Amino acid sequence: MMVWVLIGLMACVTYANRLVFLLESIKTMPSERFNVFLSYSSYAVLTAIWAPIVLQLDLDKGFELAGNDYVIAASVAAILTVLRLPSILVVLISIGLFGTIRFLL
Amino acid sequence: MTRSKNTAFWQGVAAMLPLAIACIPWGILTGALAIQVGFTPIQAQVMSLLVFAGAAQLSGLTMHAAGAGFMPILGSTFVISSRHLLYSLTFRKHVDGMSAPMRWTMAFVLTDEMFAVSEADTRRYGVFCPTYALSSGFTFWFLWGVSTAIGIFAGEHINNLDDLGLDFAIAATFIAMTFTELRRFPVFATMLASGAASVLLKPFLPDSHILLASLLGMAIGYWLHKADASQSEAASQGTEI
Repeated sequence: MMVWVLIGLMACVTYANRLVFLLESIKTMPSERFNVFLSYSSYAVLTAIWAPIVLQLDLDKGFELAGNDYVIAASVAAILTVLRLPSILVVLISIGLFGTIRFLL
Repeated sequence: MTRSKNTAFWQGVAAMLPLAIACIPWGILTGALAIQVGFTPIQAQVMSLLVFAGAAQLSGLTMHAAGAGFMPILGSTFVISSRHLLYSLTFRKHVDGMSAPMRWTMAFVLTDEMFAVSEADTRRYGVFCPTYALSSGFTFWFLWGVSTAIGIFAGEHINNLDDLGLDFAIAATFIAMTFTELRRFPVFATMLASGAASVLLKPFLPDSHILLASLLGMAIGYWLHKADASQSEAASQGTEI
């Protein structure tokens, strides 16, 4: 029973974080200046998620790369994107390269 | 550009597939861990379908196994999932004028992955598409549920999931979504600051590094954006004279 209560409460917490600013009862719309701030949210959050996957900081060993396969394939993905390749190709090519380095070389 | 709802629906599903597949190992891990700490299969499955937040679930399960009480578990759940507040704020202008059930449904599938693909789509088409957001969101929810189920029933037989490096697919997808605008200096600075801060903060603040690094990056983007805007304003005033 306690487990069910825990699941229910955790679901309430995660759902509340997602829902709160979508509620109609929250009347205030973000100001124009705040919208400028928010327009950088996807760049900031996505980078904050992927960067530690590729670059890891180990307190004992110091700065450490997750592995050459990660760094090389991520760099290739970045370069291909800047060269304006369609994102589906970027993802397929860099994953293919990652797999090749990791499992075949 | 305009497109039919049908097209938008399938584009949303397709855009989500690489991310959803990359998250399958975490789903399996979540399902397997839930069984290990004493959840019944139904509880483990319902947890993924309702809580629907990988990092928060793994942390909650680990804390529960260590005998933590409700408040510490819920506190950690809140901190880990608090970056969704940012998504919710960013979506605020998208859902303006939508019905309440639509808003509640949208919020239910507002994950990192859905936010990522949906914002990229909004930039591409210049307008937010609810069909795309919902189809990509529920694609992820469905595969999260399926991968949890695999973990529940086969978790003990699957080894070395970590060795596959499937998390690289997440990095690749997010890079492809964000580096498109790298030539805009405020975007470049936002990403540099947020990425560096996230790597540096992670060992110290494993629950909240993503949120804090993001806020720092956004603040820098905002500040440079303002500086950019006032500079070009000054320049245009200069030409008038």
